[in-house]
This record gives sequence, C-alpha cells and structure tokens, in this order.
Amino acid sequence: MKRFGIVLIAVVSAFLFSSCGYNKMVEMDEQVTSQWAQVENVYQRRADLIPNLVNTVKGYAAHEQETLEGVIEARSKATSVNIDANKLTPETLKQFTQAQDGLSSALSRLMVVVERYPDLKANQNFLDLQAQLEGTENRITQERKKFNETTQAYNAYIRKFPQVIYSGWFGFDKKTYFEAQQGAEKAPEVQF
Amino acid sequence: MKKILITLLAIFSLTAVLNAQIPERPNPPRLVNDFAGVLSKNEFSNLEETLESFARQTSTQIVVVTVADFDGQDKAEYAFDLGEKWGVGQKGKDNGIVVLLKPKTGNSRGEVFVASGYGLEGVLPDAIINRDVVDNEMIPRFKQNDYYGGLAAGLDVIMSITRGEYTAEQYKEKVETGGAAGIPFVFIIFILMFVLFGRRRRGRFYSPGKNLPFWLALGMMSGSHRSSGSFGNFSSGGGGFGGFGGGSFGGGGAGGSW
Repeated sequence: MKRFGIVLIAVVSAFLFSSCGYNKMVEMDEQVTSQWAQVENVYQRRADLIPNLVNTVKGYAAHEQETLEGVIEARSKATSVNIDANKLTPETLKQFTQAQDGLSSALSRLMVVVERYPDLKANQNFLDLQAQLEGTENRITQERKKFNETTQAYNAYIRKFPQVIYSGWFGFDKKTYFEAQQGAEKAPEVQF
Repeated sequence: MKKILITLLAIFSLTAVLNAQIPERPNPPRLVNDFAGVLSKNEFSNLEETLESFARQTSTQIVVVTVADFDGQDKAEYAFDLGEKWGVGQKGKDNGIVVLLKPKTGNSRGEVFVASGYGLEGVLPDAIINRDVVDNEMIPRFKQNDYYGGLAAGLDVIMSITRGEYTAEQYKEKVETGGAAGIPFVFIIFILMFVLFGRRRRGRFYSPGKNLPFWLALGMMSGSHRSSGSFGNFSSGGGGFGGFGGGSFGGGGAGGSW
C-alpha cells in the first residue's frame, strides 16, 4: 500500500513539473539565451565590417588618421567585451552597451568626416559598405528589440501565479533588459 | 468641466495616434496594399497577380505597401514591424519581403524601403538591394512620379534574384507538441488532496474502477486544446497565395529617399 502511495506521488510530481510551467520556464529561458546570441551576432557582424570600411576610407582620406584610429580602437574595445547569456546582469550589460555605443559614436564621427570627400562618396565599394553598415545597425535595433521582448515574456511568466511560488527554487531569476541609449531621448543638435 | 473634457479628449486622441501606427493585416490577404493610393486599378491587379503567382511558385512572399506617412517612425523600423505583424513569408523559412513606399507629397520627401526576411538575407544582401533595386530601378522612376514603373522594375529584379532560393512545396504547419501543459495548478492540488485524504476512506467512497475514468478524463482535457492560431492555415480566404505564413524579419534590407 505504501509503495503504491510513493508511485502515486512520483506520478503526480511528474505531472507537476510538466504542467505547472517548469518546462515552459526552461523553454523561455533558452529562448532568451538564444536571442542574446543573436544580439551578439549582429554586433559581431558590425565589427567584421569595420576593417574593410576603414581600408576603403583610408584610400581617399588618408589624413583623417585620428578619426580612423578612433574607430579601430573603439572596435577592439567593443569586441573584447563578450558576455555569457547566463551572466547577464545590469552591470555587465551596461558594460557591453557602453563599449558598443563607443563604437557607434566613433563610426558616426567617421561618417561625418566622409562627407568632405566626394570621390569617396562616389566609390561603389564604399556605397556598398555603407549600405551594409546601415543594414547592420538596423539588425542591431531589431535584435535588441526582440531580446527585450523575449526577456519581457520570460520575466512576466516567472512572476505569474503559480510559477512565482517555485520559479526561485529552480533558479529562474528575473533577467535584465536593454535600456535606451543614454542621451538617446534627447534629439541631436544640428549646428551649421 | 471643460478642462476635464479637453484633457480626456487629448488622452483619447493620443492613444488613437499610438494605436494607428502599423495598419492591420488585410483580410482577405493581399500582397499589394496601396494605402496611399498611387496605383490605378489596372496597375494594382497587374502587380497583385504577378506577386501572387510568384508566391505560389516559390513560396516567397513579397508584399508591397504604400502609405501616406510613417507616423513619425523610421522607415526601416516601420517596414520590419509591418512584416512581423503581418507575418510575411513562411514560418521557419522567413522568406518574406516588404516593399514600403511613401510617395513624395508637397515638400516631404518620397521614401522607399525594401526589407528582407531572415531567410533571404543571404541571396539578397543589403548592398544588392540598395544598388540594384533601390538606386538603379526604383528611385529614377519614382522621381518622375512613375510609381508603378519603379515598383514593377524593382520587383522584377528581386524576383529574378530570389527565384531559385525557395521552391513551393506543400507547407505544413508544425503543431506544437504541448504535452500536459494544460492542467491548472489548482487542479493538481485538488487531485493531490483527493488522493491523499480520499485514500483513508477508500472503502466507503472510491473504487479504482471509478477513479480511473476520472484520470483519463483529465488527461484528455489537458492534451486537447493546443493549436497555433496562425494566419497561414486558411487558403479559402480569397487571397490567391494562401495567406501570410508567419515569417520573421531581422533587420535586413535597404532603402533610399528622393
């Protein structure tokens, strides 16, 4: 009789695990991880474009050494910060975004400089690179947005009843989001 | 009193603006959606027919959308959001394309953006879209107010490049394997109590013969209602291409303005 009871409890707890969202939490956790990989991917894609871009610009605007070096430096800084999806905390994420934002602003400085070189702007190779870079920025926006969406879904799920009771037991903690770029809420100033 | 009314009105109009960003998915599904009204009836049906037959042959869905303005959004973001919301392309293949056009009106610039789904980023890189489609084919014609000509020429290029990438095979919707995920927590607790406390009085109230159907019934209840409400399932809706399939966009594409 006692054995029957144990078996019954085992069966019921198996049901508990599968039915009360444990599996779902694992699944969603995994989704956040893979979405983070996507985010790192698109940032990597941008980093990969840069050497080519810098070389093309160098051919036309060799004496913009300072700006070009700034880009290279920001790139190496940005690629050195890689975060494992399980170690995403507000601090590490901030570190990551800061490094990447540094690269973004170095790149936009470069793009301003480029405006002074009409020959360069007519170069097909440069135009292609520019289109790729723009596309990559779009991809970054898009993947970051998706990351926030998956994280939001996960965070909401683990805090809903009844998961909220036991999500902590299994180590499903709230995950961190991307925040808007610092100063992004201010419209850029245009000076002539 | 008047102040309150005005505030209320302001709030309502604000929420209306926020909701009005991306147009709803057309029903019945259409591939050409001329919200800005730049195409004549003939031009519209020509484009629609071409794109529908292309979608049937290759399963790649190309959607053309013209709008009067982007509601303050960036054109690229608008195109991706629309593609995601409508589910352009097949799920899993993500072979959708959104061609978004805002005609030049008054002193605001005309803008165009071609967004490619994840699955087409390989054959249709941003640089190709930018050069061969937007800069070479579309914008020169758009500049002369030939919207149909620009769209048709651009679409020709897109179709000739992407034709080989996917072929139309019967696309089966994968049904999620849900398992027993449907049983609510409270139910389980109830059953636990039922089993633990009920056992003592087994002789009087329960017999295994009666219990078994109860479990069975529960199992049946839990496994049944799990279906994905995808748009791609109905083909009788009038769209000659079988409806949108739930494709996803990752930010590929390029655009321009004139």
